[in-house]
Amino acid sequence: MAATAERALGRATSRGGERTLGISALLALGVSAVLSLIVAPPDAVQGEVQRIMYVHVPAAWLAYLSFFVVFVASIAYLRTKKTRWDRVAAASAEIGVLFTALAIVLGMLWGKPVWGTWWTWDPRLTTTAVLLLIYVSYLAIRRITDNPSRRARWAAVVGIVGFVDVPIVHLSVVWWRSLHQGSTVFRLGGPEIEGTMLLALLVGVAAFTVTYAYLMTLRLRVGRLEERAAREALSPLIGAER
Amino acid sequence: MAPNVGYVIAAYVVTAIALGGYILRLFARTRSAKRRAQTIAERRHGGV
Repeated sequence: MAATAERALGRATSRGGERTLGISALLALGVSAVLSLIVAPPDAVQGEVQRIMYVHVPAAWLAYLSFFVVFVASIAYLRTKKTRWDRVAAASAEIGVLFTALAIVLGMLWGKPVWGTWWTWDPRLTTTAVLLLIYVSYLAIRRITDNPSRRARWAAVVGIVGFVDVPIVHLSVVWWRSLHQGSTVFRLGGPEIEGTMLLALLVGVAAFTVTYAYLMTLRLRVGRLEERAAREALSPLIGAER
Repeated sequence: MAPNVGYVIAAYVVTAIALGGYILRLFARTRSAKRRAQTIAERRHGGV
């Protein structure tokens, strides 16, 4: 299974695959914007401001996905000690931090007109802020040591343990009394959302997922090039030259 | 203009800036890493 994933990753990160993904992401985001800003009707209670949902929810879901990839890649690294898994985990963590921060900012922009405040120490908001801190720490830990195998090992442990917060964030609205609304799509008895709105939301999630795949290919290339530059810099030949 | 439309515009602009800005930053990092690796490789080649 690991070999299949590696082959798929190789195909996606080729220059042709990267370009195709970039164009697909741009088109998907365009379709998503049209559906959510023009086609979907305004909410009966919240009015136009509810349209923020079509970017806020996909950003939050992609944060979960990014950290799930960090979790899986960290386990794969500890089992195989292959550098490429560490590279995948580092890339996904960075993108996950971007999506988490984006979800928080978009939530604040939605919260101000609906709740009357930019921020409140609600369980969902607090656990999401903790999630952001965990993965910012993950990225910080990667900068503590220059030893690649030690860095990868420490990061993998944080990547596995840190993932514990993801289900806590998701279930926080069920476990504790929260100002944040509960699940609208994945709930017992089916989705509680109008058909066009559901379509716009699902297209938004799909568009963000393709964008994530594109960002991963770019970030993996950066990782490979930066490692190559570091390897070249540490080459004994350079040391001899100096 | 409907009430609170400003928040919606702000949300979509923030999303575009975040995603677009990150992509541009990745392109810049790619260029810089390529240049660094190339410079070091050239120095090594010249020195040996």
